[in-house]
Amino acid sequence: MSEINLELNKVSKRFGGNQAVDHVSFSVTKPELIGMIGPNGAGKTTLTNLMSGMLKPSSGTIYLNGRRIDGHPAYDVTRAGLGRTFQITRALGRMTVMENMLVPGLAHNPGARRPALAARAHEILSLLTIDHLTNELSRALSGGQRKLLELGRLLMLDPSVIILDEPFAGVHPRLQDTISNYIHRVHESGKAIIFISHNMGAVFELSQRLIVLHHGALIADGEPHVVRSDPAVIDAYLGHDEDD
Amino acid sequence: MMALFRRFESAIDNGIGRRKLGYLLIALIIVFFLWFPNDASQSNYAKTVFISGFFYAIMSSSWALLAGIAGQFSFGHMAFMGIGAYVAGLIARDGITFALLGINITPESISAIGSIIIGTIVAGAVGLVIGWLLLRLRAAYLALFTIAFSELFRIMMLTEYDYTGGSNGLSLRPLLQIADVNVARQVEYYLMFALLIVCLLGLYWVANSPIGLFLRTMREDEDAASALGVNVVRYKILVFVFTSMIVGCAGAIFYSDVGSERIIPEQLEILQMSLIIAYAVIGGMESLIGAAAGAFISRYLLEAMRQVVITLPFRLTTADGSDAFVWDTGFWRFALFGVVMVFTLRYMRNGLLYPFITWFSGRDIAMKETVSIRESDDEHAARLETDDE
Repeated sequence: MSEINLELNKVSKRFGGNQAVDHVSFSVTKPELIGMIGPNGAGKTTLTNLMSGMLKPSSGTIYLNGRRIDGHPAYDVTRAGLGRTFQITRALGRMTVMENMLVPGLAHNPGARRPALAARAHEILSLLTIDHLTNELSRALSGGQRKLLELGRLLMLDPSVIILDEPFAGVHPRLQDTISNYIHRVHESGKAIIFISHNMGAVFELSQRLIVLHHGALIADGEPHVVRSDPAVIDAYLGHDEDD
Repeated sequence: MMALFRRFESAIDNGIGRRKLGYLLIALIIVFFLWFPNDASQSNYAKTVFISGFFYAIMSSSWALLAGIAGQFSFGHMAFMGIGAYVAGLIARDGITFALLGINITPESISAIGSIIIGTIVAGAVGLVIGWLLLRLRAAYLALFTIAFSELFRIMMLTEYDYTGGSNGLSLRPLLQIADVNVARQVEYYLMFALLIVCLLGLYWVANSPIGLFLRTMREDEDAASALGVNVVRYKILVFVFTSMIVGCAGAIFYSDVGSERIIPEQLEILQMSLIIAYAVIGGMESLIGAAAGAFISRYLLEAMRQVVITLPFRLTTADGSDAFVWDTGFWRFALFGVVMVFTLRYMRNGLLYPFITWFSGRDIAMKETVSIRESDDEHAARLETDDE
């Protein structure tokens, strides 16, 4: 099992006058399944971008497995062991499914032999039920298949922490099962998974821990049944009367 | 006709195979080019046309790596070529002193090869700076930036008359000193051809290495590339340095009296750069060999079409009694070239040579196979349901 230690200390991000992420602190120290929820505009994707190196925090620090990663370029964070997917899938359209899989494998380990990587890629693609599409250009894949491919690419990196941004959005229910299955398998292999979703059913079914963001701030962090009854969380989701 | 082709196709597939046939064809083409200057009936003019064809093939294929494979649609390619040539010329004429490093290169102490090496290195160094400046620019902005850079360089060369000779151009130190014109032309021909082969081998090596895979990833999506662990900054700069050095070296050699006796700023105009792009587009932007072939064939046809002789049918004669009509095409040949380009972009975006390249590589079979297995989310889900049962 790989070492897991992701630690965020008072991470903030400001875009002009908008405080997108406001002093968020939490840590992940074991292979957990963590759901990250929050109303639209709560800062979930911004926080993901901060953790994955796509954005630089305005203040605060992020450590991954003992290494400070905030402000480091995305590729460096990825190599340090944090993999992510995107809300809108980023399949590499004019490249085949196999090439999509080889990129992270070779980026992670430039000296790796291609046949060995290809064998591993095939194993992962078969777990994700898209192994028959190996030589297909990824732009020809359906929406759900692209999501599956993105998940497959992550495994080629062998990260210790995985962030999935809306893995179920717009995916056929049967393929959602494949994705849930994947999440369980990856979790069982000893990786921590943080997943963002608006699909509350999936969130409560899958997650062992729930993080709730609202207006950029972390308002709850704990076991799902506890968080569910937290007044602050209910307030964030159902809203409150401004006159109160 | 189609049936005949199908029969030929199956004969090849059952016989030596397409790939081997492709390699055989390439070998035959190489043999033809090696034999060509030995054919006594070929004039020196024809050899000169071929030499310039090789030069433009280097330009277009390296641009194909930069734009077609790495997705950096640069208009600065000709400028980098010019930097290589001008630097080689100026160093060979005036020398250079690096006071800080204690290096003093005098015109007497440097050979033509030495000046070409320095030209190549300087082109690579400028490529490094430009690549770095372009890091945050994409698509149209990158194109506009490189147009501005290219024009800036051209105007500098045009204006600094005392150093560069202005519009008269700059003569580089001749690389070869061969008195006999026929022999000289033959050696120049082989030199440029060898350079083309070396460049193509280098370009292919990069394109087929993990670097090539990373460059294509970068072309598809820079953010996704970095999320997959690809150091986009490094590869973007690397591809600029690599292609700049190739064209810098090719420019310095070509204008060292191998293909042309002097470099003139006119060569650096946007029109010339557009021609490089057009050759690559016609041949196939994403294929290095396609772009090289596109450039060579286009150069050859543009030369051949300078004067078109149309033999009149039905025993018709022209006013002066000749049975052939001679048309000096002038700039009309470029107009025709434009029509070809428009056709390519509209109907064959992968280039006119793409069908041949995919046929020889057998990729068209793979494509047909994969099209048959495409499915929607619903179909995929239905298949999984069936598998479960």
